[in-house]
Parts: sequence; structure tokens; C-alpha cells
Amino acid sequence: MGDSRPGRKLEERLLHEVLALVALVLVAIVQTALLPTPLGFPLPLLLVLVVCRALVGVEAPDPEVGVLAAVRWAFYGGIALDVCAAAPLGSHALALLLALLLVVLLAGSLRIGRALLPLLAVLLGAVVYEMLLALIYHSTVAALDWRSHALVILLPSVLLALIPTLPIFHVLRWQQRRRVEQ
Amino acid sequence: MREYIDNHHLKVHKQSVSASRLRRPLLIALLLCAVSGALLWFDLIGFLSPVRAGLGQVMSPVAYQVTRVHNGAADSWGGMNELRHLQAENEALRQEQSQLHSELIAREQALVENERLRQQLAIEEAQPWSLRGAEVTMHSPDAVRRVMTIAGGSAEDIDVGMAVVGQTGTGPVALVGIVEEVGRHTASVVLTTDFGSRVSARVIHDGDSALGLVQGQWQRGSRLRLEHLDREHHSTLVQGAIVVTAGLTAELDVPLPLAEVPPDIPIGEIETIVDDGHSQFAELRPYADPDQVRYVWVILDQEGN
Repeated sequence: MGDSRPGRKLEERLLHEVLALVALVLVAIVQTALLPTPLGFPLPLLLVLVVCRALVGVEAPDPEVGVLAAVRWAFYGGIALDVCAAAPLGSHALALLLALLLVVLLAGSLRIGRALLPLLAVLLGAVVYEMLLALIYHSTVAALDWRSHALVILLPSVLLALIPTLPIFHVLRWQQRRRVEQ
Repeated sequence: MREYIDNHHLKVHKQSVSASRLRRPLLIALLLCAVSGALLWFDLIGFLSPVRAGLGQVMSPVAYQVTRVHNGAADSWGGMNELRHLQAENEALRQEQSQLHSELIAREQALVENERLRQQLAIEEAQPWSLRGAEVTMHSPDAVRRVMTIAGGSAEDIDVGMAVVGQTGTGPVALVGIVEEVGRHTASVVLTTDFGSRVSARVIHDGDSALGLVQGQWQRGSRLRLEHLDREHHSTLVQGAIVVTAGLTAELDVPLPLAEVPPDIPIGEIETIVDDGHSQFAELRPYADPDQVRYVWVILDQEGN
């Protein structure tokens, strides 16, 4: 999804872009309509996908292309979530992009064991994502009590995001390596 | 995949990626952040509402079909288990059972629809409300807001501020939210448990009643809270007391967002009473859990209006 190697024909790149967009809209629909919400907490599937794609992109032979794909995933997926869930347009896109920026900056400079990196990245990304959405809610809907919000919303949401992290990360990395080998 | 996992576990990040190689994607990400921020701003001032409504209309049929298939499969899950058991007992009937299974799913869907219409009829007979049923198509994708999207909009006479009721388990039909935005065939509903949701309410106990305000408490770790109760009527604050909508805005008959919420819609009952020294408030147990409802009814009108 979303490969943009410079030598490719414009039509092929456009086709990939449209396919990426359609796939991310489908993921947004799955997240909002199909995934279970244990105790009312939705699984942030798109956040995990974007963060893992960014990590895989950073360690790709050409990190610029890999990270750019993650940036596009964040933007398309965020807008799709906003449209699906009737949220303010741009709110989820902004939250996903900021989470991705933080993860890329950290992953590009930190020396951390690979087994821990995805979990740490999703943890940090989820905190930024949830905090930004809460800030938008706080400034546009109703003032939040940040301490209780951190305990009853942020903490469970972040922990929930960690569950699918490793499987998704390894599938994306496996796919990346296959592409490189080809 | 197996070989990949075996060969690549617990490797150490040998070299950090040079910042210059990430400059371009990071700049593009910042640019898209600015675009998203601008979209957010324009949407909050109402400039993009028609665009979002249009996009919502495009997405709605897809989401509706996906949810229907999902709900149908979930409803027939129990029947499927039984069918599998019969298949194991009698191999010769497998073909026939498979066919029966398809018919069962179709019948289950018809039964569900029939049951919903019966429920609606029963509610309309018991209450002075005119209702419009709608499937819940989407829930909030994050834990911050408590909203849901329903498959009904202005084309179905649904309007902003209308009360949305639902039923879970054997509980009574009760308020689950208020319509916040309406598209042609979809509407977004703010759930009663959202912190931004406030509804005037009446507590009823032993022939006495008092007015108060019910506010959502999801973002604070509980569900509903009844507060701002008149001090003279604190005797009504007892465990198990019934709380219904007061419909105060409706009685004023003014064009305000909550003017469409009629009185006497059950909300929940008092679970615990808290006294902080200055004031008393009560935690409520909602009759219908807004997170669990899959089908709701919008109160379009009530007798006399």
C-alpha cells in the first residue's frame, strides 16, 4: 500500500494511491463498525497500523519512502475515521500524524531492542493520539478533569492498543522484507 | 513467515537513521498536520459541515450493510453451534442442514425485524411518542467521545435535539442519547454517558418529585450523575429512586437544541448517593446501556405536539 518509488510510472503510482485509500477506508469502517469495544473501549486499529508502518519504514533500505507511506496512511486513515464516525474533520488525521511524527523522531534516533521498540512506540503514539483527541474534546465540547481522564480513559485505551501491536508489526515487516527481496 | 520470525528475533538496532534522510517525510507530515488543523478549524466553525455530510452519505450505505451482515452473523451464532452438533451426529443430513442453515439466517433476520417492529408498536402503545426505528451503524473510533451513528436522517424526519431511546436486556425502554447532527440518511447521536451531555431530569420517589440535571460521566470513570437538585427535595435522593427526563426545554416551546426532548422518558435509577459537605449528588445506573444498544428509536413527536 502506498509505495512511491521514483522510477515507477505515474499511472501505477496513482493506482497504488487509490488502493491505499480504499484499503484505509475499509480499515476505518472495520474499526468503527465491526471491532468489539470491550467495556466501551474501541481498539485503535488504525493507530497501531500507522505506528507499525512508520517503524517498518524507518528500518527500510530507503527510509524516506517507507516513512512517507506511513504519513499517507495516517492522513487518509484519519480522514476516513472522521467521516465514518462523524467526528470533526481533521481531528483523527491530526492525532495520527502527531503520533507518527513522535514515533519517527524517536525511532530514528533511539537504539532499542527490536522486541521492545514496537510496544514502546505504540505506547507513546497512543498517549499522544488520545491526549490530542481529549484536548479537542476539552476545548470544543466540555472541560475534562485531566487526572481522572488519564486514569479511566487514557490508561485502558493505551493498554488495549498494545494487544495487536506485535502481530501487526511482524506482518508488516515480513511484507516489507518480501518486497525488498523481490 | 516462520523462517522470518526465527531469523529476526531480538536483533539490536545497529545504527540510527540519519535525520537528513527523514527530513522530507517529516516536512510532509508537518504540512499534512497543518492541513488537518485547518480542516478541523473550518469544520468547527461550520464551514465544512456540508462536505462532511456529503461524505457521510457516501459512507453510510457501506457501513450499514457491513453492520447488518455483522449483526446477522452474531444473532445466528447460537443457532450455528447447534447446527454443527447435528452435523456431527448425522453426516447424511449435512447437505440438507446447510440449506436449512441459510434459511435459518434469513428467518432470524426476519424475526429480528419483526421483533423490532413489535417492540416499536408496544412502546408507541404504552407511551405518547411517535417513533422512528434506526440501526446503530457506527460507534466512536476513540474512547474520548461517546457518540454513535444511526441509519436514519432528515429524510426520515429526524432532527437535531430529538431524544433517542433504546433497550438492553429486560430493562425498560430508556433514553440513550440526543441527536447532535443530521445528514440525509444518517444522524450522529451524543450518548447520555458523554460528559458533554446534560439533560433536565425529574427524580420520583414515594409520590414526591424533584428537578435536577443528569450529566454523562464516562470521561470521569462512571456513567451518569444527577446533580443540581433542589435542597428542599433532597428526601427524594434515595437508592432505587426512578429518574426520568423533565422535558423542561420542551415545555418552554423555544427553538433550543434540547427542545425536542419530551418529559417522562426513563433514564435510570439512583445507585449511590454522595455528599461532599456542600452538596449532594447521585450516581445513576442507566436503564439502557448506550454502548450495548444495536437498534434505537428516535422520538419524532409526542401526542399533543
